[in-house]
Formats: sequence, structure tokens, C-alpha cells
Amino acid sequence: MALSVGNIQNNRLAYLYTLPAIIVMGMVVIYPFFYNIVLSFSNMNLTHFNDWWITGVDNYVSVFKESTFWYFLFKTILWTVVNVFFHVTIGIFLAIILNKDIKGKSYFRTLLILPWAVPQYITALTWRGMFNSEYGAISLTLDRLFGFQIPWLTTEWGAFTACVITNVWLGFPFMMIVALGGLQSIPDELYEAAEIDGASWWHRLKNITIPLIKPVMIPAITLGIIWTFNNFNIVWLVSNGGEPADKTHILVSWIYKSGFRYFRMGYAAAFSMIIFVILLTFSWNFIKKTRATEAVY
Amino acid sequence: MFIVSCSQNRETTIMIWHSMRPLGTKILQQKLEQFSKRYSGWKFSQLFYEPETARTNYIISAMGGSGPALFWGASDNIGPFVELDVIKPLEHFFDATFLDSFIIEPIPANTWFQNHLFQIADRVGNHLCLVYNKSLIDSPPKTFFELRKIGKELTKDLDGDGKPDRYALAWNYTEPFFAVPFINGYGGKILNENNRPTLNTKATINAAQLIYDLANKDRIIPIECDYEISNALFLDGYAAMIINGPWSWGTYLENDIEIGITRIPLIDETGLWPSPMVSPLGYSVNVNLKGEKLKTALELLKYLTSMEVELEFTRAMGTIPSRKEAFQDSLITQNEIVQNSIYQMEVGILMPVVTELRWIWDAMRPSYQSVFTGRITPERAAKEMQELAEKLIKENRE
Repeated sequence: MALSVGNIQNNRLAYLYTLPAIIVMGMVVIYPFFYNIVLSFSNMNLTHFNDWWITGVDNYVSVFKESTFWYFLFKTILWTVVNVFFHVTIGIFLAIILNKDIKGKSYFRTLLILPWAVPQYITALTWRGMFNSEYGAISLTLDRLFGFQIPWLTTEWGAFTACVITNVWLGFPFMMIVALGGLQSIPDELYEAAEIDGASWWHRLKNITIPLIKPVMIPAITLGIIWTFNNFNIVWLVSNGGEPADKTHILVSWIYKSGFRYFRMGYAAAFSMIIFVILLTFSWNFIKKTRATEAVY
Repeated sequence: MFIVSCSQNRETTIMIWHSMRPLGTKILQQKLEQFSKRYSGWKFSQLFYEPETARTNYIISAMGGSGPALFWGASDNIGPFVELDVIKPLEHFFDATFLDSFIIEPIPANTWFQNHLFQIADRVGNHLCLVYNKSLIDSPPKTFFELRKIGKELTKDLDGDGKPDRYALAWNYTEPFFAVPFINGYGGKILNENNRPTLNTKATINAAQLIYDLANKDRIIPIECDYEISNALFLDGYAAMIINGPWSWGTYLENDIEIGITRIPLIDETGLWPSPMVSPLGYSVNVNLKGEKLKTALELLKYLTSMEVELEFTRAMGTIPSRKEAFQDSLITQNEIVQNSIYQMEVGILMPVVTELRWIWDAMRPSYQSVFTGRITPERAAKEMQELAEKLIKENRE
């Protein structure tokens, strides 16, 4: 509905009710967003923190010219795809099990939500300790069982894998809960009718379960992709700020380092605008293509 | 009403952000409680942050017009803080008698930068020493030749699985601050008089090679070790020696470890002592402070840098006080830990306060870590450190 003077006058009370939210959103989202756009065209850094000026598209050129952007973009995409894949598959798998009439269902449900309930900071640092190649629980277990240790945190791909494992552990409960909600809304009659028609487990999953949980899973997956793409905490804490040798970064952790460790504010702002455009384009197309907002029945 | 009340609380609250370890935090809290008895109507509190986080958070909050009244940390914060205009010059708030009561030898306690006083210290040092567990080692090694020899005896496979469980020595490999003594010990330095990085040198290469060999050839230090791991190994008796600073003595003493402090062993090839960076630690005042709050914060600063308070920290943690009178107290002159800490400090190098040092640390970190993992050679590490340092300085000085 177009925003016009007449519209505002007719719905004055409704707009009045939403005004506090609009003011807060304006202060914490809209103003910083536009300020960030301005900064992205500026030379703000540690030397010009108070006396910065607009320098044009230099920061954008720097971002695209540097190999770090392309390398961390590749790593971010890989990080996102691997994480979301495991979040969704493990989440749906566990949800299907929990949706059955099994003993101790509520106990298992609580247990499986626990990783989600523990603060990310605690989980990340606990996993970091467990990944130590000489003294960590994971390495000690691998050593006892198979006689080898993995230098998780001191190699580029070891550290990346450690971050992925931690984030998979943290992320599957959300998908499980969403999928469980979707599964519980599917009428039993559909499965009964399919069974009478002789449909196998696979056919029931493919033709009933997946299409009917799609409306809840697609927005959850979209959110999951955005959250994972921007999941600064896990990468930063597990790899201790990008170790080893600044190789374990995704785009957002690199932005943080550029902005708040090196104080290259203009550069970091340009970098973040590029990420914004990437995510906006992706979400727009993903929702459009999957027709996630349409009703199923 | 809530907002008004919060704002009033802020006006009468003096907050200190610091990076003191748990024992130091406990003493600081006790001192704040004692001081608050003199100032009814005022609230005094403290908040711990890791050094990097403290600096970043302080800069952001002070730039935004708020932040803590006092910031406690090492003097290398001063360069960026002054450039960003987030701390106040202090020389006009204190008389000459007060300022003259701080030591200038072996290092100047108070930090002047660009002809202004920006930090008043409550302790000096912040330097790395060799700490050893007296129950595991009678006499610490004086040279690296001795260290290698003793190290082989001290590194032990306690459970017979063919892998060492106890190491001779451990330290934090993730921070280049811990590599500086070795570079200096080979006759190098990380920046020159013009504040330009001097990392691509034979000294850096030799230092990197030495560290790599200790971990991978001699195997007397762990292959992977950050600050927490090295500290835990030493606390649990799985490392006979550790390279650490005065901030850690208190924790060791509190855990009933009989510690000895001495110099990091001499480099045999050069005949030089490894020289750690030495700096004062103290309080700076937030640029946004004014009126009564500024007055009260300055009074608190005076109290926290008084002889009585400084010696209390020394008693518990073995810190080196910054006041002349406290420095000559029998608690210092007769304290073995403090005297040995001063013995190491005598061969230290005063930490520059220029902002360039921040970029040099950042540039050293990735390559230094890569040497440990064997990803790059010491020669390449030295070259990459230098290139990155020059790049960061250029990018930030443009």
C-alpha cells in the first residue's frame, strides 16, 4: 500500500502505535546504514579518524583489487554451503525421528536443543580447547582410538574444519525445531492414504513430507544462510581472530579485523556494503525462485 | 524517569577499564571500596577486558563521547589514543612534587608523548622473564646451550606413550610480543628511530629459526601453545619453565607454586641477553571527563598510584612499583622475585609509544604463527612481516 497523506490520516492510530518501533529502527538500523554508505566513500582510518573526507570509490576499488576479498569470499561461500547443508540434513533427520512415537521423546528433544541454549561464546571457547592438538579432548580421543592427532588449529584447513564442526553443533537444533513444527502440522491422513496406496518410505518423504515442510523450511534456510554467512562469533573465537596467519576468516571476520583492529573504517565500510549487496541479491532471488511466500494448500 | 536515573548514575560513577588478571582485579576492587568511603554519593567500579578488546572498546566508546573515566593499561596504547584524541593531557592537573615522586630509572614511570603527560603509572615492567618451578628445576639455564641440555632431561614422557607429557619450557606462540626478546637477542630490533619496521633482518630469521628448532628439532617446547595452554601447563607442572610477565606471578603464588624468576637465557652465538619490551602500566584519563567527575577521577588516580596501594599489589603479585619511595621499600629490596624481575628489566628495551608499533605487531602475528606450523621458512617469515608492516603503515598513514 502506497504511503500517502490520506493513508496516514486514515490510519493515524495505527501509525502512532508503530511510531516507537519506527524511531528505534531509525536510530539503530536506518541511520547507521546510511552513515556506513557515506563512510564507505571516505578515507576514515586511524590517521584520519576525526578529519576524514570523501575520496570517491577508492575503497571499493581496493576491495575488488585485493586477492583477500576473493579468497575470503570463496571461503565464506564454502563455509555457508557446508554449514547450512549439515544444519538442514541433521535437523530434518532428527525432527523426523522425534516426530515418531518414540520412548523418552521429550527427554531427547530437550537434550538436542541444549547446544542451541548454551551461549555461543561458551560453546566456541570450549570447542577451541577441545581442538588443541596435544591436550584437547578430540585429539586425545583420536589418538587413543586411531593413534593419530590432527593439528586442528595450526593449519589453515584444520582450523576451518574446526570452525565448521563447532557451527554445525550449534546450528542444527534451530533447523530441527523448525522442521519439527512443520512435520507436526502435516495431517496423519495424508500418510495413511499414501500407505494404503502402497507408497514407500522414500516416496512419502519426497511427495508428502518435503513439499509440506517446504513453506517453513525455506524461510528458515534463507535465514540460516544469512546468519551463517555473517556468523562472526564462531570463526573469530574458535580460530582466535583468524589464526593461523590470518587464514581462517570469512568476510565478516575480516571486516571486523580491518575496522576494529586496523581501524581502516572506510575500507571496512565499503567491504560491508559489498556483503550487503551480495546477501540482498541472494535472498531476493532465493525467495522468488523457491516461491517461499506462497501458500501450499 | 529510568533514563534520567541512569544518566544521574553515570554522572556519579567512576569506572575503570583495565586488563589486570584475577588477583589484580580483586585488589583493585578492594581499593575502590576503601576509596569510596571517602566519597559518599560516588560509585567506583572496575571492568576487566583483554588488552586488545579493552583498547578497541575504549576507543569506540570515548570517540562516542562516553567510556570509562580511567583506562589502565600498558604505555603502548598512548600513541593511538593520542592520535584519536581520546585521552586528556595530565601535566596541568598535578604539581611538580607529585610528578617528581615517580621513578625515571631503570625506566621512566610516567609516559609523555608529544610534550604532554598522558599516563601515570602504578607499576613498571610488563616485561617477559623466565619463570621456573623450583620443585622441578634447581638451577635455571643461563644460556640457550644450557637450556637445550637441561631441556632434554626435563622433557618427559610420563605415561610411556612415546610422546612428551611434560615440557621443559612453554610460552604463548600466538603473540609476537613473546618473540621480541629473541629478535633483540640476535642483535635486531623491530622498528628503528624513525619508527619504520626493521623486520626483514638476519636477527629476525635467526630468532624464528631458534624458536622453530626448539619446538620441532629439540622438542623441548610444545608444538601448539597459546597463553592459556602455556599457563595451564606451568600451573599443572607439565612445563618446568615458562616465559611470562609480572601479571602472572600472582596466579602462580596463589596456586602455591614455588617460582623463581630470572633472565631469558643468553643467546650463545651473539653473547647477548634476549631483551623483552619494557613498559610502564598505569592510568589515563578519558578526554570526555569534566567538572566534579574529572576532579574525583583525578583524586582516585592519585590514590591508586599511592605508595600504600602500589605496595599492596607488590605484596600479592610481585609487581614493581612506580613511586620512588615504594621502589626503595624493603618489600622491594628484599623480595627475591621482584629483584630478579628488575634484573631482567635491566636488559629490556623501552616499548615505543608510537602508533606504528600497533601495525608492526599486527604484521608480525601471521608470519610468526606460520613459522611454528612450518608453513613458511624463517626467511620468508621475516620478508612477509616486513612487507605487511610497510603495507599496513602505508594504508593507515594515507
